[in-house]
Amino acid sequence: MQAIEVQDLRKNFRIQQSRGGLKGALQDLFAREYREVAAVNDISFTIPQGEICGYIGENGAGKSTTIKMLTGILVPTSGHIKVNGYVPYQEREKFVQGIGVVFGQRSQLWWDIGVIESFQLLRKVYQVSEADFKKRLDELVERLQLQELLSRPVRKLSLGQRMRCELVAALLHNPSIVFLDEPTIGLDIVVKSEIREFLKDLNRTQGTTILLTTHDLQDIEALCSRVIMLDAGSIIYDGGLDDLKTRWGRGREVRFQFGGAVQAAQLNAWTMGLPVTWTQESDLVATALVPADMAVSDVFSRVLGQAEVTDVQISETSTDEIVRQIYSSGSAEKPEEQPHV
Amino acid sequence: MYYLGLIWEYFTNYVKTRLTYRADFWVEVISDLLFQATNLIFIFVVFAHTETLGGFTEAEVVFVYGYFMVPYGLYSCFINLWNFGDRYIVKGEMDRILTRPAHSLFQIFLENLDPPSLIGSVIGIIIMIWSGGQLGLEMEWWYIPVLIIMTIGSTLIYAGIYIILTSVSFYSDSPTGIIPLMVNIQTYGRYPITIYNRAIQIILTWVLPFAFVGIYPAALFLQRQEMMAMAWLTPVMGIVFFTASLLLWNSGVKRYRGAGS
Amino acid sequence: MSSLYLDFIRIRFLTMLAYRVNYYSGILVYTLNIGVYYFTWQAIYGGKEQIAGFTAAQMTTYVAVSWMARAFYFNNLDREIATEIRDGTIAIQFIRPYNYLLVKMMQGFGEGIFRFTMFMIPGMIIAVLLFPVQLPTSPVSWIGFLVMLFFSFLINSQINILIGLMAFFIENNDGLMRMKRVVVDLFSGLLIPISFFPGWLTSIMNFLPFQAITYLPGSVFTGRVQGTGILEVLGIQVIWFLILLIPIYFTWRAARVRLFVQGG
Repeated sequence: MQAIEVQDLRKNFRIQQSRGGLKGALQDLFAREYREVAAVNDISFTIPQGEICGYIGENGAGKSTTIKMLTGILVPTSGHIKVNGYVPYQEREKFVQGIGVVFGQRSQLWWDIGVIESFQLLRKVYQVSEADFKKRLDELVERLQLQELLSRPVRKLSLGQRMRCELVAALLHNPSIVFLDEPTIGLDIVVKSEIREFLKDLNRTQGTTILLTTHDLQDIEALCSRVIMLDAGSIIYDGGLDDLKTRWGRGREVRFQFGGAVQAAQLNAWTMGLPVTWTQESDLVATALVPADMAVSDVFSRVLGQAEVTDVQISETSTDEIVRQIYSSGSAEKPEEQPHV
Repeated sequence: MYYLGLIWEYFTNYVKTRLTYRADFWVEVISDLLFQATNLIFIFVVFAHTETLGGFTEAEVVFVYGYFMVPYGLYSCFINLWNFGDRYIVKGEMDRILTRPAHSLFQIFLENLDPPSLIGSVIGIIIMIWSGGQLGLEMEWWYIPVLIIMTIGSTLIYAGIYIILTSVSFYSDSPTGIIPLMVNIQTYGRYPITIYNRAIQIILTWVLPFAFVGIYPAALFLQRQEMMAMAWLTPVMGIVFFTASLLLWNSGVKRYRGAGS
Repeated sequence: MSSLYLDFIRIRFLTMLAYRVNYYSGILVYTLNIGVYYFTWQAIYGGKEQIAGFTAAQMTTYVAVSWMARAFYFNNLDREIATEIRDGTIAIQFIRPYNYLLVKMMQGFGEGIFRFTMFMIPGMIIAVLLFPVQLPTSPVSWIGFLVMLFFSFLINSQINILIGLMAFFIENNDGLMRMKRVVVDLFSGLLIPISFFPGWLTSIMNFLPFQAITYLPGSVFTGRVQGTGILEVLGIQVIWFLILLIPIYFTWRAARVRLFVQGG
């Protein structure tokens, strides 16, 4: 069964056009002008049960709007959504029993009271039986090491502590789908990796479907088998992370440090016949870009015989870089021309 | 039953929160009482210059005020929408409300419970007893059940008006909403409505029916024949206004979910 | 530097224009307020010529002008300041190169100009059409009233700022703000002119700043105070304006100490 099915989903917003200046403002007082903007533009995708899917895109690409539609907060302008067998915006109260939501930027805990009190309250709100609640809470508290924090008021928690509590709050009613909107925002590396581990565990042991938005691609690398990339309201990539890398990765960069001065013409002559591109930083330092389908050793065998090499570094194109390129070109279709350096 | 359980849970949470800010609790209670006291001062000053107002004596007007305080206290305790636009729309907490499995309006009521307001209701009853004594009103057996019915009716009207006004936040773009503008108007239903001209009487009876949270139901206990019919309309108006407000609220939420932010 | 502050006035004016629903409902509500108090006072006067130095006609004018003055001087600076203190954004205000309180005052004034041109003038025209309001005939009264109206705004805003800053010292000052609103409406003479209060209360109120907000300018507008008397009542306003600077200064200083020590 599919956990999430989305077909031609669209959300238009009506944006008020403010006329500038005093005269414009006075006109706006009596008659206003609006403009329709598609925040989410006819997107379709399905997420099977038990998958962890990353949902990425620049600010304003439509990620939050999609999440809000999937969680039943917003009603779509058109298109079909089915989450957990429900249409989220109909039967909202029944539907939300089966999902968990964490907004990284916004707390769902009560500010002034102990964390455990918030959990107790949520137990009542979600009508979880005392026995289930206790079992579930014990597991989560154990797993996330919250024992010390339970009696503290939320306002006394650090951001990392609070975020772990937010996760517990969203999971107390054992939802089968969890939506995480930027769950690692503002956290330090240690807490980030703790949360990633926890989510991975949750997915493995409970089969929980997870959809998360993030700006931290390491979240995606650590967690997601699949990534959906959004730009200006449309999906520009939907598939495996590895796929994205091989399609988009520009191969490897091999950086040579030479013992004596080397000319550009020499470099090109050495690798004659190989699809290698050279970039020179100085007389002593040059980088060869090696395509993914070619062995790096071929370049070594050519170069090492010709000149004295004092140091070599090999690096792969990072996901960050790939995504940055996709954002700046606005499409995940691999460009025909490789951008030459 | 589910909702009753939630009221209790939120109430205990309220108490726990309050215990951490004990000084504030008393500031709030005292400022609430002073708020009521200033209203009484208005009545006393006015009657220093006139014997009757629209055929009502000072003790009668004070009695009406006492009645008003009872539903007002209940309303303030359970239906506190004062900061709705700012907190839920502008700061976006409405999204969190909508991811939880209970009616949105009810969740907002619960998150803003204000039990100290109930002290006002108690004082209202004391004022009614005291001014009733001055008027020589005999306590009759039907006073208590009728008072309960009227109080529920008035509270529903009050709630209805303010839910309607709050729903405007879904349609308007102003962070404060228009509720602060109503602060003075809500007091007008406490004076003998016959002193106003026709247009204002109609407004206070049918449009912003604050007269049902004051003069009309109180007139029943004061045995004012001319307002008897209106007094008995109180529970009916309560149901009508409260139902209308729920419908408007639901359509406002629908709009919110349609328009997003 | 001063053009920065002028900008705060302008921006607030434009912001106010954006809130349409508030504008329309505000006009209706103020008209209703004047109407209710007009009829209430009619009933109180009954057949009487004069009460506490006010003729029935003066009373009508007083009610209209006080409510319209309130439409001008009213603002929510107390709530705005309290909110900024509670959600912590006040800390950002401290690192900006301007005086926070002055900026608040300017924002309030921008709102005031909006209220004056869009609320008070049209509202006054409606009130004159609906009720037997007598406008002053002497230009001196007009000028005196307008100058005093400005001081009403200053004093009311000063009180709002003081109450708003209390949020530094008490966690929840909602009750205090609500109380202030009622106290200002009652003791400024908006609901009842000061001379109606019993003698002992009147003499207490003569020592409080509230009368300077509504009662004094209202007395000039109704013609109960004329000629050099105008300078006298204006003097009272100026004195209150200066006196109120003192508690604001000390509260602000204490607030800053608190912010720096406790981190907000």
